[in-house]
Amino acid sequence: MALVDDEQNIRELVSYALQQEGYRVVAYRDGEEAWTDFRQSLPDLVILDIIMPRMDGLELCRKIRSLSETLPLIFLTSKDEEFDKVLGLELGADDYLCKPFSTRELLARVKVLFRRRTLALGGDSDGEDSILRCGSLEMDRMRHGVLWKGQNVPLTVTEFRILEALVRQPGYARTREQLLQAGYPFDEYMSDRNIDGHIKRIRKKISSLDPDFDGIETIYGLGYRYRADVDS
Amino acid sequence: MINKILTFLSRITVRLLIFNILIVFLPVAALLYLDTYEQQLLRALEHALVQQGRILASALAGQNPLQPDSARRILQQLEQRHEARLRIVDPKGRLLADSSRLGPRRDEVTAAGANAEDVVPAEQRLLYLIATYPVQLYRRLFRPPEPPFESAEFYINTSILMGPEIQEALEGRYGALTRISTGGQRSVTLYSAIPIRSEGSVVGAVLVSQSTYRILRDLYELRLEIFTIFLISLAVAIALSLLASTTIAAPVRKLCRQAREILDHRGRLRGHIRFNRRRDEIGDLSRSLEEMTRKLQGHIEFVESFSSDISHELRNPLASIRSAGEMIAQTKSGQDRDRFLALIQKEVARMQHLLGAVREISLLDAQLEEEERASVEVGQILKRVVEAHGLRGGSTVRIAISQNTGPITVSMAPERLAQVLENLLENALSFSPPDGEVRIDLCRDRGQGAIGFEDDGPGIPEQHLEKIFDRFFSFRPEEESSGSAASTPRHLGLGLAIVKAIVEGYGGGVKAENRTVNGVGLRGARFEVRLPVVDA
Repeated sequence: MALVDDEQNIRELVSYALQQEGYRVVAYRDGEEAWTDFRQSLPDLVILDIIMPRMDGLELCRKIRSLSETLPLIFLTSKDEEFDKVLGLELGADDYLCKPFSTRELLARVKVLFRRRTLALGGDSDGEDSILRCGSLEMDRMRHGVLWKGQNVPLTVTEFRILEALVRQPGYARTREQLLQAGYPFDEYMSDRNIDGHIKRIRKKISSLDPDFDGIETIYGLGYRYRADVDS
Repeated sequence: MINKILTFLSRITVRLLIFNILIVFLPVAALLYLDTYEQQLLRALEHALVQQGRILASALAGQNPLQPDSARRILQQLEQRHEARLRIVDPKGRLLADSSRLGPRRDEVTAAGANAEDVVPAEQRLLYLIATYPVQLYRRLFRPPEPPFESAEFYINTSILMGPEIQEALEGRYGALTRISTGGQRSVTLYSAIPIRSEGSVVGAVLVSQSTYRILRDLYELRLEIFTIFLISLAVAIALSLLASTTIAAPVRKLCRQAREILDHRGRLRGHIRFNRRRDEIGDLSRSLEEMTRKLQGHIEFVESFSSDISHELRNPLASIRSAGEMIAQTKSGQDRDRFLALIQKEVARMQHLLGAVREISLLDAQLEEEERASVEVGQILKRVVEAHGLRGGSTVRIAISQNTGPITVSMAPERLAQVLENLLENALSFSPPDGEVRIDLCRDRGQGAIGFEDDGPGIPEQHLEKIFDRFFSFRPEEESSGSAASTPRHLGLGLAIVKAIVEGYGGGVKAENRTVNGVGLRGARFEVRLPVVDA
């Protein structure tokens, strides 16, 4: 896999951590350096920073997407304003982590993305009990895949976790803190505000398939709830 | 309620109106002057009466007793060409001659006569009544009632002219009396009695009388005219005030509304004051307001982006520290653990350094204002900065200084100038190859001192030329391969930002470019600082 960050120490640490897990990691200092290599051959997964001299992460992401639609991408961001940009559907990032991130969390995300990719490529052999259904919504916890009325919804890992926390008990309200805990199990630096952004994007992603979708209800002053009667 | 009234009164429109109306009241003041004028006219009238009486009396003097025929003849000879009524009385009070019996009574005829029939007298017109009503009211309420004059009917009812003024005259003195005119007019009639003497004794008296009606009528007309002028002026004043208010108050109100609207309900700046083309003071005001909001907006953006930049810059070392901490907890190799510990220390030092620099740059503006300026020579300070650099040692890069002009004296705090030069030197040195040369040139150009730093480094990529002086912007492609970053804190991208802030704070400018000769690019960058020169 490839790691692109202009911070030497982060490159060193993240490479070390990934290598400990047995991944092969090539670190690049900026987008241009990485792109020179990617043009020859693409890695299996890319972890990239946004703010970099020369070619920045967003541009690199766009270039990678022009070569491959499915290559898993994880963004590392350090500015709050970047969340929206990264997670917009158009950029096609699979997930992002906010600096300072936990290396363990990064490893967990990497694992999820790899598993999703392998399962997506190798068919759905096992894990029948890992399927979570609620009306037209179908969530596969093994593959981290989501289907709405049979159509694939491309959710990031964070979004998947948040939606899962809501769907697991339909009709029950979840507070923002609970959802935060579900979305970022290793992170204590997140603010509640992020949850609203994630919910907005989950709604948008499902609505782009089905404009009538209104399964996620806002409960003012508390949090969110997945409607039990969503398909009736 | 009182507040409301005060607010209303302090409105420009209202004030304009009040001032303009006050000016209009000046003609009203003229009415007061008319009273004085009336007094003078009356005095002149009386004087004229007395003169007429004297002339008549002296014409009749010397007859003893008075001859009624000659008295009548004299009056006839006057042919009614006098305005006063002339009467001649003998010592017993008998009327010997009366000018009004000899022909039409001119003075009193004009008063109640033909003229008055087709022209409504001024004092009876509606306008006059309206205008004088408050005065009448005032007189009735506040003035003590005047003692009634004796009516002029006196002579009609008493065939014998034995009025007090006649008595006086017959006793050899001058007699005068004022009586209210007959016929219901508001005028009075002045009576003057002059003794006719013959050889020391009084043989009769001349009684001259004239109504003040004419004077009063003139005054009434004058008053009415002034009042008409007043009314017209009032209308014009109101019109002018409204006009002035539409050209002054209305644009101000508009501006005020705009100023209120650029703040949203949360008190944040939204939008701009629209540019106003007016050339007057209101236009100036709107332009000042526009500039103020623009600067304020810029400052708010600066503050917001600054805090965002800082949090961004702090997150990177924090991410490293956090990861390193986790790695230390996991790793079993002592060597790795030491490596991560060293890394944590390095990142902590970097954060400290960063916080120090942030503090410096945020305090810079305030400090620049308070600093004591002195006349300093750039060349001397530069020499010392270069010397200090040489003392620290460890650099193989040559430094060459060329000063093409005489001393360049600027008004700055010496330490600040040194800081600027130091940062630029550090910047140039850090990009120079080990065998390179940093060339510093000093020259004067259009009242400014220009200090240029040239290096043999890689130059600045075209797309970064604009950002090079931004806070936290750092572009160092070869920094990490040199390996020097391990011991010294990394470059923060604040050095040039500080240079820019200081130089601009002292009214100068900064510029970065890639070296070119005849339009052909060379290797290396050139940074130039311009500072205003003072002539020592």
